[in-house]
Amino acid sequence: MSALQTTSLTKRFGEFVAVDDLDLDVESGEVYGFLGPNGAGKSTTIDMLLGFLDPSEGSATVLGHDATRESQAVRQRTGLLPDGLELYENLTGREHVASAIETKGASDDPDELIERVGLTEEAARRRTGGYSKGMKQRLGLAIALVGDPDLLVLDEPSSGLDPEGIKRLRRIVEEEADRGATVFFSSHILEQVEKVCDRVGIMSDGELVAVDTIDNLRAELSAESVIEADVDGTPNLAAVEAVEGVTAVSERDATVELTVARPAAKMPALRTLDDTASVVDVTIDDASLETLFERYTNGDGTPASDGESEGEAATGNSETVADAGGESA
Amino acid sequence: MSIRTVARDDLKNAARSYVVLGVIGVFAALVALVFVAERNIYPDPYRTLFDVSFMTFLVFPLFVAPLAYLAVAGDRESGVIKYVLGLPNSRAGYVLGKFASRVSVTLAAVVVALAVGFVVAFATFENAPSIGRFATFAAVSALYGVSLTGLFVGVSAATSRRSRAMLGVFGAYFLLVPFWFGFLPIVNLGTVLDAVATTFGTTITDSTRSFVNSLSPATAYLFATEPVYSGVFDQYPQLAGTFGEDSARLQDQRWFNALVMLAWGGLGLLAGYVSFRRSELG
Repeated sequence: MSALQTTSLTKRFGEFVAVDDLDLDVESGEVYGFLGPNGAGKSTTIDMLLGFLDPSEGSATVLGHDATRESQAVRQRTGLLPDGLELYENLTGREHVASAIETKGASDDPDELIERVGLTEEAARRRTGGYSKGMKQRLGLAIALVGDPDLLVLDEPSSGLDPEGIKRLRRIVEEEADRGATVFFSSHILEQVEKVCDRVGIMSDGELVAVDTIDNLRAELSAESVIEADVDGTPNLAAVEAVEGVTAVSERDATVELTVARPAAKMPALRTLDDTASVVDVTIDDASLETLFERYTNGDGTPASDGESEGEAATGNSETVADAGGESA
Repeated sequence: MSIRTVARDDLKNAARSYVVLGVIGVFAALVALVFVAERNIYPDPYRTLFDVSFMTFLVFPLFVAPLAYLAVAGDRESGVIKYVLGLPNSRAGYVLGKFASRVSVTLAAVVVALAVGFVVAFATFENAPSIGRFATFAAVSALYGVSLTGLFVGVSAATSRRSRAMLGVFGAYFLLVPFWFGFLPIVNLGTVLDAVATTFGTTITDSTRSFVNSLSPATAYLFATEPVYSGVFDQYPQLAGTFGEDSARLQDQRWFNALVMLAWGGLGLLAGYVSFRRSELG
């Protein structure tokens, strides 16, 4: 069953198309990473899911309700952490949580929620006007968790959070997913969703350019790795380059940089290098998802398309979207 | 009930800001000033209420404006609206909650100001102030406050930015108070009526002119203060000149004045809500 589904969802602001013919399908109980660079249309999509914006075309169904006409019913069972959350500056953090509990008719203990997101009791008693961005995000998360919602919509939840906060956020998302909630998690940073998300959808320029699991996306692009090896002695670069799977080799100041096309090529390449000059230290920069991300979005927010230098990634696009459709069926 | 929660949060947020306390304080100080200034001029505090009514008519909207114009537009510009409407509040409940909050601040300003005026009058006037007259005056002024707050919150709901809300609220003030009443030469409602009459080749009778004049909430407020001076019109020429003669004209019926005030507040709020209901909160 779908927790969230959009059909040809489109939003135009005058001439500008912010969201273009979007078909999303998020399964009940799934943690879905909604990725894309700034301005890709993620927040506009979320605004339509919550009834803040009316779609120009198409429709969205959230938890079985029409997102536009039955928005209040949607919001009753959804926990929202909006992007750049703003709060009543003269109310305390705790008062905000208490009001959310009251509005949802929930029975949560505000202090428990505040503790769960890692806000100190002292901070929760202060007015939010003096809060930092990270504190606002934590409070926003506490508000979103009120009433054990069936769906959590988190728009850039990690922005402003310190490493402890990000770790805690990840744990909370996992706990909520274990409870059976669906989590719709938007971010422009892949690293933050890859560890928690079952599937990701990548938005670029208002369009969904890929939907799949992170592993599949990575395999799809046969993502390469870069190995930096500090060597003692003079390596035989030609021998290393001859190893199958190695695509580039270079040396600078006793550091050899190897690029391999697939994970299995790493050890043979290193062994060959070690045979010619002993390797004293190694760092491996794994196929960064950032690279993958950039391939899909061309790094500048425009979708990769045929005829451009990223032709390989572009041909992968339509297949990936089609795969995802098949997988969820 | 979510309207209650919206209203309570908004009121708490406002009550903890110095702006609101400042506005109430300054208005109370102005009323007190009128009483202090006239303590040796008139023996009767109700005569001073008459002067207070003119001050209220003219400047009270300028006190209500800062209390009301950001009710919705401020939340939209800052983004707080996504906190409130991210929760299962309806847009109607949100607007009503905001109105309830702001109108209670307006009512507090009226009550505090008149309580202060009463105390000053009690301490300094030759004749003791009448609780009945002060209460009537407070009730009529409260109605004026409700009308202004409804209209201004309506303007706020129809706009998405503070600057536009401010422009709308002050535009409404200029139109309904100085323009309608005819404070300025030429730039007033009378000129418009004359122009309309000339276009249609007719003239406008004084009674029609007076009727149209009574259709602003501000002028309706002045008309509606008449019961405050019941039985004492003949004591002061100004009261006699303003309220002396009995009349069957619609604009001299108190229920009609009250209706005019309520209509501006109610319809203003409704129009604002209708616009807000369909607006995009991106």
